[in-house]
Amino acid sequence: MTASHVAIEVRRLSKRFGRRLVLDQIDLQVAAGESVVLTGPNGAGKTTLLCAMAVLVRPTSGEVLWFGEKAAGRHADRRLIGMVAHENRLYPHLTLRENLIFAARMCDVDRPQDRAELLLETVGMLAHGDRTPPVLSKGMRQRLSLARALIHDPPILLLDEPFEGLDLDAANWLTTLLQELRQRGRTLCFVLHDEARTRLLADRVLHLHQGRLMQVAVGPAAVAHWSPADQGSTVVHAA
Amino acid sequence: MVKKLYWMIAKDLLSECRSLRVWPAMLLLGVVVAMMFAMQADLPPERLRQIVGGLLWLTIFFAGTLALDRSFAAEREDGCWKGLLCYPISPTCVYLAKLAVNVVALAALECVLIPLFALLTDVPLLAHPGPIIAVAVLGDLGLAAVGTLLSAVANTGRQSSYLLPLLVLPAVVPLVLGAAEATRLAVEYDFGPAWWRWVQLLAGFAVVFITAGIVLFEFAVEE
Repeated sequence: MTASHVAIEVRRLSKRFGRRLVLDQIDLQVAAGESVVLTGPNGAGKTTLLCAMAVLVRPTSGEVLWFGEKAAGRHADRRLIGMVAHENRLYPHLTLRENLIFAARMCDVDRPQDRAELLLETVGMLAHGDRTPPVLSKGMRQRLSLARALIHDPPILLLDEPFEGLDLDAANWLTTLLQELRQRGRTLCFVLHDEARTRLLADRVLHLHQGRLMQVAVGPAAVAHWSPADQGSTVVHAA
Repeated sequence: MVKKLYWMIAKDLLSECRSLRVWPAMLLLGVVVAMMFAMQADLPPERLRQIVGGLLWLTIFFAGTLALDRSFAAEREDGCWKGLLCYPISPTCVYLAKLAVNVVALAALECVLIPLFALLTDVPLLAHPGPIIAVAVLGDLGLAAVGTLLSAVANTGRQSSYLLPLLVLPAVVPLVLGAAEATRLAVEYDFGPAWWRWVQLLAGFAVVFITAGIVLFEFAVEE
């Protein structure tokens, strides 16, 4: 893969919190347009790895590249990344519409009001645009969180358990939306615990265990036969 | 950058106007402390003139610390802080926006406390408003500059409310002392070299800490 074909590259990345080594010499390349699912037990470091990919935590050692360029310190290039996290990251005293308009303004989106309306419609929340996040259900906030991440149409999306709190209909809707994003060539990197949705959405499944990233399933055939019990035996290495 | 700065300031002020979580508590604390000081300081007028600057600036510090602490604590709720860091904006821009909001909060506090102290103590704080306003503006900038930076540091931990006064108090001793002395001299209509030295100290303090905030903020907010 050439540098421009690699959306995210993680090189020899380690992260310690105090004495605890959470990520141990992680190497990973995610191709542009690829959909990668990270699995692993609670506390394995999946969220930390996603945050490191987004340069929200400074690694103890190693580096992250976005489209072949070092990510650290390049604040303007954060527009390449959209992130859905555990927390909804919505301002509780702004309406949903105001939250999206603020996000659009921070990302230099043209015509922020129009973009906010479009995203509210996309996530099925147009009727709730004047409400504030605290009065919404967790599932509705999760939809808004996704809209906020998509406000600038980023080429890379990092999603930390995006199906958490969604009912079946909303989860199916989100699956369809993510499949559309995949077809449009967006690079997706998920933390998922849902077996069926992992099979639907992943090109590759990786397992994080004791700070090491293991290759579990690569390609449609392997992903279709993947099971959560499979923890892999090959450490992921950069190409 | 200027537009983003404007929108961040507008967002914070709008949130405060709707939630009223910081300013009423800050103003109430300021008024209560001012009233207590004024009631307890049963002194002759000339003695009162000598101490009113210190009482005023201690009150501004105590009440202002509430606003400084909340400037980042509110951002931490629901992970908004990480959301903000995800946007393509420089940490300098975030620091300047938070600084501006804190400057406005402290200015509002001063607008209440200076006339209140004048009223309660009969000390002519507003007889020569120009010098007092200059001291208030410089003190406001210095306190907001230190507080914004240290509030960011404190809010990377989990005990910000306990930690912030411990961090801010030692750092602002020169500022509170300088502002108190400059206020005392202004009340006594003494605008000689001593007054100018204290004003220069306040200006230097503000410049140093605003510069430090711009340079260090990126590291201060790291986890």
